[in-house]
Amino acid sequence: MSSETNAFQLEGLTKTYRIGVGQARVREALPPPVDRLVARTFPNWWTRDTFDALHDVTFSAPPGSSVAIVGHNGAGKTTMLKLIARVTAPTRGSVQVTGRIAALIDVLVGFHPDLTGRENVYLLGAIQGYSRKEMRSRVARIMDFAEIEELADTPLKRFSAGMVTRIAFATIAALDVDVLLVDEVLAVGDAAFQRKCVRWLEEYRAGGGTLVFVSHNLGLVRSMTKEAIWLDHGRVVATGPTPEILAGYGTAMERRDEDAQTPAKGSVRSVLAARGMQRWGSGGARLIGVQVGEPSTNGAGVELHVTFEAEDLEEGVICVGFLDETGYEVAAVQSPALRFARGPGSVTCRVAPLPLRPGLYFPTVGILSHDGIVRDRWQLDRPMSILGGPSLASDFGVVSLSSDWTEASFDGNTS
Amino acid sequence: MITRLWRYRELVLSLIRRQYQLRYRQSLVGFAWAILPPLASLFVATVVFHGVIGVQSGKPGVPYTLFALSALVPWTFFSQSLTAGVPSVVGAIAMVTRLPFPRAAIPFSMIGTSMIDLGVSLLGFILFAVITGAGLPITALWLPLLLLIELVLVVGVVLLGSAANVFARDIRLAIPLVTQLWLFLTPVMYPLENVDGALRVLYLLNPMTGIVEMFRQILAYGEAPSMDLMLLAVVGALVTLVIGIWYFAATEERFADVI
Repeated sequence: MSSETNAFQLEGLTKTYRIGVGQARVREALPPPVDRLVARTFPNWWTRDTFDALHDVTFSAPPGSSVAIVGHNGAGKTTMLKLIARVTAPTRGSVQVTGRIAALIDVLVGFHPDLTGRENVYLLGAIQGYSRKEMRSRVARIMDFAEIEELADTPLKRFSAGMVTRIAFATIAALDVDVLLVDEVLAVGDAAFQRKCVRWLEEYRAGGGTLVFVSHNLGLVRSMTKEAIWLDHGRVVATGPTPEILAGYGTAMERRDEDAQTPAKGSVRSVLAARGMQRWGSGGARLIGVQVGEPSTNGAGVELHVTFEAEDLEEGVICVGFLDETGYEVAAVQSPALRFARGPGSVTCRVAPLPLRPGLYFPTVGILSHDGIVRDRWQLDRPMSILGGPSLASDFGVVSLSSDWTEASFDGNTS
Repeated sequence: MITRLWRYRELVLSLIRRQYQLRYRQSLVGFAWAILPPLASLFVATVVFHGVIGVQSGKPGVPYTLFALSALVPWTFFSQSLTAGVPSVVGAIAMVTRLPFPRAAIPFSMIGTSMIDLGVSLLGFILFAVITGAGLPITALWLPLLLLIELVLVVGVVLLGSAANVFARDIRLAIPLVTQLWLFLTPVMYPLENVDGALRVLYLLNPMTGIVEMFRQILAYGEAPSMDLMLLAVVGALVTLVIGIWYFAATEERFADVI
């Protein structure tokens, strides 16, 4: 495919950074061709303290495509966006973009808190290369999209974070953009505005616009993009249709979390050692361990083995819940009332097959007293993936329902 | 760099507008801040250099205040542009690391803001000349050319300084020191005639020497600018501009990485 037909094309893209916090950057300060001369004379000094934030990435996207970049923190996602946006230049390789490009990497950038909403719209337009005249015809549309007409002449510092996001997105949406780069910003808006943005992005893509989307919110990634690039330590692990890539990425995330644990997989100790587990509660009873059964596939259900110990609590219940990638608790179940005896106890909970959309879910377990006060609760950072069979509809919704369909009938059918 | 910057000229204007919209918000005397710095310097020059040290005006019949102010106006533009322009790229760190736009828009907007102040202080100078009865000589018509030469020099120094400051913050830290020393080593508060011998050669290598002397000639003395000063100033300014543009253009794509 020639570069003419691609919205953007990356070839052998490599970006090398030098680590040098808080020091004068003598090597970078040397302008070409002096730098090449110095690099040749002192090759050791020149390449010291470097790392590849992105290594040999080749990818191309035709117009109208929607591409997600997924990966852990530091995998090179933002570096890739910055290279496509030409915020920074590649060390090796090339970036070709056809048409106008706009980047929404951080909504607050380019905005000034003391300027009004309207003044900021003009400023953001200017930064993206639009004249005041070009922006004037768009301002009304922007204020309408952002739903802040009555606040257009109020300084931005009086706005909520959500309103600022709305203005930023609305401004970008009003520009004539062929390639749009969005990094994590949609997560700030409220649900209604998020839906509006998703709808706009669908229209934008239908009109031939190309979207590159970076987010840790895999739910949004799934609903917004058709293709994904999975990066790890600056290298491409895989590219392909978003659901497939997310499934692979999810499994890898689980495996990585297990690797980080102590060898006794699934044991009480291993869960306690899980990184970043959140724990809270008023005490009186405590959880000792949670074992989550093998990652379940759709239709197999899941088993959780919970060990606990009561101190001064006599009666209570154990709750088990599941959070999606956005932190929303999609389901919760509760044990019958338990009378606690002295010493550690244990209980096993078998959850029926979870009719959830394929994705990553995070179990949460708690001990509650009968008046509903949380005595001890764990929210596990170790995800549990639910992998469904490939289906078009699996991209949508929160739950997956089983359904029966009649034969299709047609009025004009004579047989 | 220059063609890209021209496409983004609206951005430079927007940034200048932003500077101005923000600058005098929540300030008491507002716009007077544009004219206060040269007036304050004039006060110091008159009391200390003229009154205490006894420095005289470079031309008989021209009062010392007029003599000093005619050089302080271009000097203030120069030093303000440096003070605001050199740290400006680093100051816009968030924009530089996240948005693609020609980086030179930032220092240019700072110079543009100083130019507005220069316009105000030039009006102040004219007012001063009329009130004190000296009037404005016809040679003031040379002003646009001299302003252009000074602008060329300022753009060169600010581009070089603001780019270098990205790599080594020493540049910004050195600015107050450099502008102060540069002021004393430029015949702003005393005439060039007081400088003799080898030192005078050194003075003439400083492009600001020719610029302030010529401003003085056309605004206070009523003389045409001397051509030897003109030559030195033009060559000095152009060489600085070429170095500044070259260095900025050669290194700007690294700003986002090291800033």
